Amino acid sequence: MGHYIELTTFDLLLAVGLIVIASSISLALRLGLTRSLAIAATRCMLQLGAIGLILKKIFQINSPYLVLAWLAFMLFMASREAVRRAKSKYKGINLDALATMTFTSLTVGLLVTQVIIKVRPWYDPQYVIPIFGMIFGNSLNGICLCLDRFLEYLRSRQREVELALCFGATRQEAVLEGARQAVRTGMIPIINNMTVAGIVSLPGMMTGQIVAGASPVQAVAYQIVIMFMIAASNALGSMLFATLAARRLVSNRGIELQIGGNGNMAAKGARP
Amino acid sequence: MEKDPSRTAPKASKDFYCGPIDYIDPLGRHLLRHVTLALSPPCLCVISGPSGSGKTSLLRAVCGLNNASVGVRRIGDTTYSPKKLPHWRTQVTLLLQDAPCLPGSIRDNLSFPFSFKNNPGRVFEPDRAMRLLKRVKLSQFHLDHQVDGLSGGERHRLALVRGLLWAPPVLLADEPLSGLEPELAQECFELLKDYARQGPNTVICVLHEERFAKQADISLRLKDGTLHRADHI
Repeated sequence: MGHYIELTTFDLLLAVGLIVIASSISLALRLGLTRSLAIAATRCMLQLGAIGLILKKIFQINSPYLVLAWLAFMLFMASREAVRRAKSKYKGINLDALATMTFTSLTVGLLVTQVIIKVRPWYDPQYVIPIFGMIFGNSLNGICLCLDRFLEYLRSRQREVELALCFGATRQEAVLEGARQAVRTGMIPIINNMTVAGIVSLPGMMTGQIVAGASPVQAVAYQIVIMFMIAASNALGSMLFATLAARRLVSNRGIELQIGGNGNMAAKGARP
Repeated sequence: MEKDPSRTAPKASKDFYCGPIDYIDPLGRHLLRHVTLALSPPCLCVISGPSGSGKTSLLRAVCGLNNASVGVRRIGDTTYSPKKLPHWRTQVTLLLQDAPCLPGSIRDNLSFPFSFKNNPGRVFEPDRAMRLLKRVKLSQFHLDHQVDGLSGGERHRLALVRGLLWAPPVLLADEPLSGLEPELAQECFELLKDYARQGPNTVICVLHEERFAKQADISLRLKDGTLHRADHI
């Protein structure tokens, strides 16, 4: 890797000054944010610090098992976060989220690391961890949006789904339009990101590589791979999650979910 | 139609048999107690009964749209297992109570069933659609007219036309004439009658007005979870 300026502890202390600026503004305007700002900054420091140390250790030990274990941990946390962010939930959503994230990240991640970038050894944490991390983080977003849209569809279009069933539609046919809309919704953010990439914003990974000394052209090449990877994982993840949710929530009898207050749902057998 | 299934043994190819049906609704009411429907075409059957007696639940149970326990579903010699519900519904099609529509044009709304995988080779005929629309006094609308603005009564007539175009051997209709003025309701009822005669098909309607019950081939009353022949026949 090329040259880059190493940050020292002293440099970080200087950076705390930036938080002090933000806090002063909060104090001056009586925003009441000083406390949350301090907590957020501390959490940010501790969490990232911990991750830094853990990654450093993983890089040192350089064992495939450890890399896999860390990926599994990230995967688990990402699927939990996806469920937590979803506006409405159903029985079995945790399992569906985990299954979706596992399948999607494995398919896309292996393709990118093993076929496109050709990481050697195959588990090299320097590539495998950040790339899988980006898949987790982004497909999480996509499937969340997709799921919200799909459940909203089932909730508001129950009669139309039933109408289709009445005329002999299979349950896949009956919810096809809902799944289509949901996958489309899951894909919109990455399409927007690709459209404005480099013009409105410099993507984070590219920026990082440039700072770390990579040639801008290489950084761009990586960024393109990453963007396409995210597009694929969002499409795949959205489609899979909608399919799994449909399997649970829609049967031959119709939509098997009960709509509770403030957007909570529970799958249930009976319908009047 | 009677409680005892052994009395009727359908042999002809389009005889309709469904039951015994038992259904306890989510509130715990035992709405249907061992009800069996067995009808041979041509037959126009009207089911009435006090509100809340389970008429809608009965039709939905026949189509497998609720979790009622249904013994056997059969048309002629063909028995349909619960897995075959989509196929069953191409043969026994329910017109839902409040006549839902899909967003889109009248054509979309009339032709969508023909695109389903389980469509048993039926073909959408726009000319026939126009003729039927005319009969139910919807001919002012072109096939490409969007359905958004249709009134309740218009949607019911559209649903009726959809059902007749789809032409299943057994047509179930849950209050298909609601929201229609008496003359129009009579005209639509005649259409259902013709449909039963000409197929010959089986038509089962849930209807409230006694005048329709009187014109039916069979008039049944659902009360206390069982079906009885209505008194006035």
